[in-house]
Amino acid sequence: MILNKKYFRIYFSLFFVSYSFSQEIKVVATDSSKTENLDEVIITATRTIRQLSSLPLPAQIISKRDIERSNSIRLNDILNEQTGLITIPDFGGGEGIQLQGLDSQYTLILVDGVPLVGRSAGTLDISRITVGNIKQIEVVKGASSSLYGSEALGGVINIITETPKYGFNGNTNFRVGAFNTADLSTIINYKKKKLGATAFLNRYSSDGYDLNKADDLKTVDPFSNYTLNAKVIYDFTDATSLFVSGKYYTQNQDYIASSTLKGESTINEWNSHLKLSHKYSEKWSSYFEFYTTKYKAKDYLDDENNSRFSSSYYNQLLIRPEIRATYNPDDKNAFIGGLGLNHETLDRTDFTIQPEFNSPYLYLQYDGNLTEKLNVIIGARFDSHNKYKSQFSPKAAIRYELNDNLAIKGSVGSGFKAPDFRQLYFDFTNATVGYTVLGYNAVSTAIPELEAQGQIANIIVPVSEFQQQLNPENSISINIGFDYMLSSVLKLDLNLFRNNISDLIDTRIIANKTNGQNVFSYYNVNKVYTQGLEFNTTWKPINQLKISGGYQLLFAKDTTAENAFEKGDVFARENPSSPSFQLKKEDYFGLFNRSRHMANLKLFYTIPKWDMNTNIRGTFRSKYGLLDSNGNNYLDTYDNFVDGYTIIDFAINKSFYENYQLSLGIDNLFHFTDSQNISNIAGRIIYGKLNIQF
Amino acid sequence: MKTIKFLTLVALFIGFTSCSSDDDNSTPLLEIESETISNLHAPQTGGQGQPVSGQFAKFNFETGKTTISDTDWDIAFRGTSIIVNGGTTLGTTDEPNRTREAGVYIANGTMASITSVDTSLFTQDSGTGYAIPTGSGNGWYTYAGPPTHLITPIPGKIFVFKTRNGLYAKVEILSYYKNAPANPDITVDVTPYYTFNYVYQPNASVTTF
Repeated sequence: MILNKKYFRIYFSLFFVSYSFSQEIKVVATDSSKTENLDEVIITATRTIRQLSSLPLPAQIISKRDIERSNSIRLNDILNEQTGLITIPDFGGGEGIQLQGLDSQYTLILVDGVPLVGRSAGTLDISRITVGNIKQIEVVKGASSSLYGSEALGGVINIITETPKYGFNGNTNFRVGAFNTADLSTIINYKKKKLGATAFLNRYSSDGYDLNKADDLKTVDPFSNYTLNAKVIYDFTDATSLFVSGKYYTQNQDYIASSTLKGESTINEWNSHLKLSHKYSEKWSSYFEFYTTKYKAKDYLDDENNSRFSSSYYNQLLIRPEIRATYNPDDKNAFIGGLGLNHETLDRTDFTIQPEFNSPYLYLQYDGNLTEKLNVIIGARFDSHNKYKSQFSPKAAIRYELNDNLAIKGSVGSGFKAPDFRQLYFDFTNATVGYTVLGYNAVSTAIPELEAQGQIANIIVPVSEFQQQLNPENSISINIGFDYMLSSVLKLDLNLFRNNISDLIDTRIIANKTNGQNVFSYYNVNKVYTQGLEFNTTWKPINQLKISGGYQLLFAKDTTAENAFEKGDVFARENPSSPSFQLKKEDYFGLFNRSRHMANLKLFYTIPKWDMNTNIRGTFRSKYGLLDSNGNNYLDTYDNFVDGYTIIDFAINKSFYENYQLSLGIDNLFHFTDSQNISNIAGRIIYGKLNIQF
Repeated sequence: MKTIKFLTLVALFIGFTSCSSDDDNSTPLLEIESETISNLHAPQTGGQGQPVSGQFAKFNFETGKTTISDTDWDIAFRGTSIIVNGGTTLGTTDEPNRTREAGVYIANGTMASITSVDTSLFTQDSGTGYAIPTGSGNGWYTYAGPPTHLITPIPGKIFVFKTRNGLYAKVEILSYYKNAPANPDITVDVTPYYTFNYVYQPNASVTTF
């Protein structure tokens, strides 16, 4: 696929020609807008097929229809438009999701129920996931370790991909836009009798962009990536079926570190997922699942003489066999239980060893309608581990229907995140600046080595303090809310949340080096909480119009910091050269990169007469702090903040000749950028999209 | 009855206390000195991996002025380093020998809130490091790194000094840039020019400010 300006122009002239043509031809008006199904089903919340509307947990479904109408291409595009979700760029160039005010490392990302790996610095870059073959995205908020184990502290995002539908068909989707960004997706689908299959190919490439023209570097370097996904479903009998899915992802990106240091970075990822299901009777079913994923990233930099300046690699492997069974004694009660093993290895530059994690686990859950109005879920999971303390994660949830329009729900659950390989085994010294970062388990060997080399000026935390184990980060999450159906066209839901996280892993200076730099390591210290409320509403005044709005209020704070402010130990200055004064408790703003307010408003409008639909979507984020600018180590009201902002996206889609659809849209209509603070907002993006069904 | 008793007690108390004052022949207390020193120039050569050298800018609390004396100084500045005239030298080039018993500790507070001296806390310079630790976030300043590269005094750090004569002073550093601009910019503002507030207690063995 070649994409240069010429093709771009041809594409657009075609676009406009066909557009004007299609308006002349009087297409027979057919109402393509279906009333959206109120009985959407979600699988992530209970690992069983479950009606979303009766679920006692805060959960949300993003439909294929909304993804298509918004013309999203990557997962971050669509998630950013959901209430309480925002993607945060990290220094490595990836974008991780923040959910209920918790960092991206505390949200588990699943594809068809199995996890993605490759968090080289904690963040899982969700821009690596195409939305081209997504059937729906399920978001469950609140700790879900009782089903999913590690990482599910804040919640779970499960990407459900397309399953084969009857017949032989497919579609291709091509979008081009600003920065020479092109996205091509093709999906072919086959199903007859016992055999079903889909094949999916996506290519995504961009020239990247540059927010700060003053320096030699681009904000995002040019890249291209491919996603290949094949899926086969075979029904041996009515009761037994096999699901096999394989995915391959590869990305190549320029890596320009300075005017003289240039190189490349590549990512290769493989997933293979096999699932055998069998239904023994009306009551009993079992599943055997075998999942393997491999994530390999590497990069290099060459200097101006073409000799190698630096190179690094990161190879992670996860193998997970799991068996689970469901038991439904009657239509009111359901049990699910599972037994599995996580086997994980990592081979990485700057690691003391090639670590291996083995973690068998077991979970059990009961989901029952005790009365017609009362639904209860109780579950728990036990994770054993060869390298850290075993974890027990219970959860309970309840939903009660007060009347036909109003239901209250509440849930309490515990979550945990195991220390990752980096926090245990990292042994890294920055070549240019000279600081050192050591994993907890690497300290006892690395410090004596550095001492022997005469690199240590003095030890601040004795090595003897690293004889214990680093504890997993733990959380208790509480969600209380209600669903209110004001009328058949107006729905409201409100959720209050609180997450208490303890044993948070942070870095601290453990020794000073003779070069004036420090040695850092990880330790369990902070107690952090996030709390707030989330409000969502959907209003469909007429069948053609859907208006939805959402709002999240968030307080994310470090308890230790809060105490320091309360005790009067924190000081600030009006400006850098004025005398210090003491800060009060209310001057503490909270954790970095958290906005107090986030909101969205979306309007989807269908014009059946013209076979057209259009939408306008706005998202708002209030001010937030990225760093402490006044030297007291805390984010307080006297620090410099990143200003709040609003982004408006607009799209218009028109179908013609039944099988064709053309779209035109503008993301970030008012060209908002903040080159200093926000690297993942590129500015205004004008695009066109063509979709062909066959 | 109670009132009379109370008044008598008060009268007695006043009488006794005034008497004792008459008997005291000591000199009246000197007034506490509050001053601001602006643009104390403390250049250094080397640094950033190279050996450091250059004369320290020495300061004398008694006169409230800088001095070139080898012995009659209390604290001295060079680049971001601050030393006291007590303890031993770290041995860098051009570093003066310590001739007296000055010391320092860092208190958390504001100039107004630090009102007394805790004499148990004083430390002196030594062969392994200065009493006021060097490096970003360790002593009196933080270094912002790129892109601003600013050196900013940490808020709430008050230095309590014991002078070479065993008197006390408290100091708050305000700026490292010439003329203490409200919002320094390294492309126009030059270093190292210290601006600081100090309060000097000139009376022997008085541990309050």
